[in-house]
Amino acid sequence: MSMTKKAIHKPTAAEDELTTRRRFLTWLSGVGLVGSAIISIFSNLIFIKPRATYGEPNRFPIGRPEEFPPGTRISIDDKRVCIVREGNRLAAISTTCTHLGCIVAASETGFACPCHGSRFDQDGNVTGGPAPKPLPWYQVNLAPNGELEVDKDTEVPPGTYITV
Amino acid sequence: MRVALAISSFVALIIHGIVFYDQFFHQWEDHQTAYFEQARGLATKDAERAALEGRRPRIEQIIVTQFGEARVDRCTTCHIAIDDPRFKAHAEPLRTHPNSEALGDTFVNGRWERRHKFSDFGCTVCHDGQGRGLETFYAHGEDHFWPEPLLGYTTQETWRAEFKPKLLGKEFMQANCAQCHTEENFKSTPLVSRGRQLFFEKNCYGCHRIEGMSTGTLGPDLTEVGKKFKLDYLWESIVEPRANSAVSSMPKFNLSDEDVKSLVVFLKSRRGMNFAETSLERYRARIRESKVEPATQPTTEVAGVSAAARGERLINERACAACHKIGDRDGGIAPDLSFEGLLRDESWLMDHFRDPRSRVPDSIMPAFGFSDSEFLSMTQYLKSLTTPPPTATPAEAYKNLCARCHGEKGDGHGLIALYLDPYPRDLTKVAFMNSKPEERFIMSIKEGVPGTSMPAWGKVLNDAQIRDLLNYIWQTFVREPRRELKARNVPAHNPVAMSGESVARGERIYLQRCTGCHGRKADGKGPNSLDILPRPRNLRNRDFINSVSDRRLFDAIMYGVQGTAMPPWIDYGLSQNDVGDLVNYLRSLNQTN
Ligand code: FES
Repeated sequence: MSMTKKAIHKPTAAEDELTTRRRFLTWLSGVGLVGSAIISIFSNLIFIKPRATYGEPNRFPIGRPEEFPPGTRISIDDKRVCIVREGNRLAAISTTCTHLGCIVAASETGFACPCHGSRFDQDGNVTGGPAPKPLPWYQVNLAPNGELEVDKDTEVPPGTYITV
Repeated sequence: MRVALAISSFVALIIHGIVFYDQFFHQWEDHQTAYFEQARGLATKDAERAALEGRRPRIEQIIVTQFGEARVDRCTTCHIAIDDPRFKAHAEPLRTHPNSEALGDTFVNGRWERRHKFSDFGCTVCHDGQGRGLETFYAHGEDHFWPEPLLGYTTQETWRAEFKPKLLGKEFMQANCAQCHTEENFKSTPLVSRGRQLFFEKNCYGCHRIEGMSTGTLGPDLTEVGKKFKLDYLWESIVEPRANSAVSSMPKFNLSDEDVKSLVVFLKSRRGMNFAETSLERYRARIRESKVEPATQPTTEVAGVSAAARGERLINERACAACHKIGDRDGGIAPDLSFEGLLRDESWLMDHFRDPRSRVPDSIMPAFGFSDSEFLSMTQYLKSLTTPPPTATPAEAYKNLCARCHGEKGDGHGLIALYLDPYPRDLTKVAFMNSKPEERFIMSIKEGVPGTSMPAWGKVLNDAQIRDLLNYIWQTFVREPRRELKARNVPAHNPVAMSGESVARGERIYLQRCTGCHGRKADGKGPNSLDILPRPRNLRNRDFINSVSDRRLFDAIMYGVQGTAMPPWIDYGLSQNDVGDLVNYLRSLNQTN
């Protein structure tokens, strides 16, 4: 009697419960391990880029618009930007040479690099020498306190001015 | 097994999640998001809108290189609206930093121009706090281990609770203004000026040194005190000088809270470095300091005021009663001056004012560098104090004249005993009291003991009163009938003639036998002296040694001093000639040149 019953095995209610329980536990372990792994990967990816470094800040104030009268073209060497103002339009052009990183000097025709002779026009386009790319332009903002702020983290297409 | 695995992996997930959240979601991001949203709503010009375009929360950081070590200030990460005039009325941290003339700001063309730009000064130069912190607790320096919590806005967790409310208020920031604005009466730092004034008025300078300002040596050097200590410590040290050292001899000045605050701000501003000075200027100032007289407050002469009246004013102004007793004011540290006119003469007072140690070699009184005319006025005033305290009964006499040093119980632990060197005699030591002839006690009371704080009471009491006083001491403190003195074989005069050889022999004996207690320098500060009370005599106290007869020296050396650690040296094999050599050596140390 019992033999036949064992041959054709029909899961009892208790056994049923055991299977669901097993499935649930497997699911739980899976979610736990995979989830942890995913979070670790994310953390590591985010950690790779430091949130703050001790270099000079890349967004910095340069003063009020009045300090740059129309026609100004002035290089701020320690910040490596050149402030250009025409009429009431104002922009900041990088003065870091795109070749090997020297500071370019403003010249008659635009910018000239002292190291390997790269030349750039007024807008920073390469007109000669080994420099591979034009000088980047940076975003200039008008901060709420009325000062201009150059943001070297944000490049803008050459020829982008802000109106002051 | 499966259960354990499931649970542990799930727990791992939760922990990972919490760590992730904690590391990558910050309160400052919420502040910045809130700011961007509100600023967008407030923007009126295209330029303003453009500036906000694409700004996402990030750590804002100012690197300040001008003030000492380079500072990293991340305060604007939370206080992001600090320079946005539209946020004047907002709640912190999104509030505009106020503008004011007191801060040096100027109002031109309808808008404020800041004198101290954040990009140059950062925040911690003026406010203190921990510039790198990104959580309020750390950024404001509430953490107990951060030495410079936000000045006047934050007190640290462990600070003394009763002081906390007193340590708040933006006035405390004046201490940092004074790092650069060192002018003596800079108008934006009235508390620093007041504190400096109090430093001189209350005679703090007599004991404490501040480079370029004062040269006191009795108390700790305060040149860098603002760098070393936090506000609560400074406050506590002023109102409770004994809080940190039970034997501190600093008087309790009982100042008003306002005065304490001024002093605290002034002291906090003393950081040993001054951003307005170059190191070359500092060097020059130090050279100059070694040449100038110690600073004194000029006292304006008032015409028609007698010298004594002027002296009285000086003594009041200079807080002499912070240590001494004068009338009903009592600092509880130094002798009673209420009837000084009876006890000391003019030359003693003048010498003592100019250099207290010329009269009492181990006095702790600082030599205050006042002018001679001021000393003269003060001397005149003290000379005018000639009303003796009541001494009708011996008990009264003891209470009014003796108890301040020898103590109510006669045990030598009087109110000011701790500050006296030599320590007052313990009148309850029967062995000592019985080892000296009565005449000697009478003489000590009557004539005083030169070179010590014991004055000549013969100027206040007559001979009969002195005898009664001595009897009173015997009955009250010694409480034993006088014992007969054993006859001692002591020469009246040193039988060994003074000579170079004798002094050399005396020195050899001295080095072998005496240095343990009396010290190599014979100043009473030998290695054993710390454990002994009364302390060994300072054998270089010239006034004392010269006032003592050969007979007394022989007596003390050969038969010891009962009730003290001085043993009878004849028991240890010193002959009368040895003692004679020793006496010659001691005399030679104290010869006036
Ligand atoms: S670095 Fe400017 S040309 Fe090479």
